[in-house]
Amino acid sequence: MGAEFGAGAEAPFVLAVPSKGRLQEAAAEFFAHAGLELVQGRGARDYRGAIAGVAGVEVAYVSSTEIVGQLAAGQAHFGVAGEDLVREKVPDVEARLELLSPLGFGHANVVVATPRAWIDVRTMADLDDVASAYRARRGERMRVATKYVNLTRRFFAEHGVADYRIVESLGATEGAPASGLAELIVDITTTGTTLAANALKPLDDGVILRSQATLIASLTALWSSNARRAARDILARIAASEEAARSREIRARLPSPAHLAVEAAYERFGAVSATGEDVDPHGFVALHCARGKVAELAGWLLEKGAERVSVAALEQTFDARNALYEALEERIGPDGA
Amino acid sequence: MNLTVDAQSQSNIVSQAPRSAGERALDHFLAAGFERTEPPILHPAAIFLDMSGEEVRRRLFLTADAAGEELCLRPEYTIPVCRAYLASDKAGRVAEYSYLGPVFRARADQGGEQTQTGLESFGRTDAEAADAEVFALGLEAAMAAGGGALAARVGDARLFEAVLESLEISAPWRRRLRRGVARGRGLDAIFSRPSQGALAQPGVLAALESADHTGAKALVEDLLAIAGIETVGGRSAGEIADRFLEQASLRSGEPIETEKRAVLDAFLSISGDPDQAAIELRRLADSARLDLGAALDAFEMRTGFIAARGPKIEDIRFSAAFVRDFDYYTGFVFEAHDPAAPRAKTALAGGRYDGLARRLGSADDIPAVGAAITLDRLVSGGER
Repeated sequence: MGAEFGAGAEAPFVLAVPSKGRLQEAAAEFFAHAGLELVQGRGARDYRGAIAGVAGVEVAYVSSTEIVGQLAAGQAHFGVAGEDLVREKVPDVEARLELLSPLGFGHANVVVATPRAWIDVRTMADLDDVASAYRARRGERMRVATKYVNLTRRFFAEHGVADYRIVESLGATEGAPASGLAELIVDITTTGTTLAANALKPLDDGVILRSQATLIASLTALWSSNARRAARDILARIAASEEAARSREIRARLPSPAHLAVEAAYERFGAVSATGEDVDPHGFVALHCARGKVAELAGWLLEKGAERVSVAALEQTFDARNALYEALEERIGPDGA
Repeated sequence: MNLTVDAQSQSNIVSQAPRSAGERALDHFLAAGFERTEPPILHPAAIFLDMSGEEVRRRLFLTADAAGEELCLRPEYTIPVCRAYLASDKAGRVAEYSYLGPVFRARADQGGEQTQTGLESFGRTDAEAADAEVFALGLEAAMAAGGGALAARVGDARLFEAVLESLEISAPWRRRLRRGVARGRGLDAIFSRPSQGALAQPGVLAALESADHTGAKALVEDLLAIAGIETVGGRSAGEIADRFLEQASLRSGEPIETEKRAVLDAFLSISGDPDQAAIELRRLADSARLDLGAALDAFEMRTGFIAARGPKIEDIRFSAAFVRDFDYYTGFVFEAHDPAAPRAKTALAGGRYDGLARRLGSADDIPAVGAAITLDRLVSGGER
């Protein structure tokens, strides 16, 4: 695949996305919504792809754990992964990665859960006390089954819980207390039904992380001019659809001139002119406004003398300022080439 | 520099090669009869995780053997020396060892290898004399290694236990106090418990409030039994019921009587040189009618041995609140650091750990006391 880029051409920008399951579908849907159609290679077993209409981008379909590894090692520029995996697998996240944008899917909490029969344990402080009593009585430490070794260690240390041992669990963690492999668990949960089915309960203050799928940039990848161009393009489209989803366009005609009304609409409702600074001398206004403020703004325009106010949904809204890319460039530095 | 060196002076150079700081400290231990030992570098990681908790894992250099057992490079010497002693034919008898070599701890800013030297004394029944000797040898060796005099702080876990015993503090509160004090928390923090009143079953609690403890416990155990619960997550229904009731009783009552708390407060605030502290301890024991007899006699005897061994008593600072959060430390504890840098890391640390042998598989406790010097934390005064 690499041979398609000639010897003199710049290395491609690599976007790593999940290779299977619901996460793959949700990620593809998210990008499609931003006008970025992921095109998988011809065979079903081809784990390379491209984005239709964006040059110099290679899409890599890999497992979630591998995505995190590739981002940390700088082998991929962008990737989609759960924040739980990122915080667990990458030491010193802030120095290596930039978490660009939460994607609104793949929600799950990493929680501390104990047997429901422990009616005397509701908080981490209770757990601390019970763990030290357990050790005093048995001379052994309470065992915590989890695949989140690092998250667990950090969270327990923050709460001063020291008398425990981690038992690494690579699957069916929630069954560990029942089968006698551990006394409690740290695991991911979405609805809590799996915990309940195993007679476990999360502690009141035992939420370690509220995680969701996140678009992540690698700070250690090689940021060539080509890679920057691709990143800027992708982020402009994502920002355009995110901004569009948040806003509505409102049109009306006021008794002329309209520039004072536009300023007032900004101050009162945070609305901005749909096409920038230019204001029509005949009183025509087109504004973009947050969804929640639309009805209020419409009422206000009618008060100001508009006869009719129309509201329309937006597909995409491109801005000269690319805030997502600017945030990234601040971390990777300006293009030296 | 003169490069022409004849054979004669060359051999002189070799024989008079300056001893390193660590070797000078070791020489001091050897001269006192502590035989040098070099225990293995690789150990089962579980031993250190069991002793020190999961927190030390991030400091361990981990590896595994062919069978998949998790091993680590030794992060310190005491446990390796104690394991070697227990495996030897001297186990249970008097044996005194010294060591010098690398220990391995992952640290963010420095390399993972540090040189430690130290000594361990096993099996001596003259505990106070052994305590004093190990303490004095540690301070002297630190000086011999080229450091300036260190500022020493001492504590005594046995005194603390005697106070708790004498006040008839309940077992759960004894444990919480021991642990809270070791972590530097004050009594206010230890006795204020955030989960107070946060229990979920107000109906059950109201029904229990009038019942006596035995009846209440039986009721809670029955409730758990009805739910099909005997032992869950390693805790028996009885244990759960006990703590549930204890927590419930905290909703209305004080965790400890005011007078007892005042005595604890007075005890924990005692600090000063060991002679002065002993006077204050006797005064407190008299006024509060505490039975500290044997523990206090041992404390004073040890102070006497230390004075006879050299260190100036008025330069040592005793603090009643200085205890370690390791249950195998059973008596005298000490640490020392560069007095010019009050926030400097501990360069010399040690204490009596009679409980360690049993934790490592011995059938009985074995008297043991030791000290370790981390060489790169010594004052470099003597080398200048």
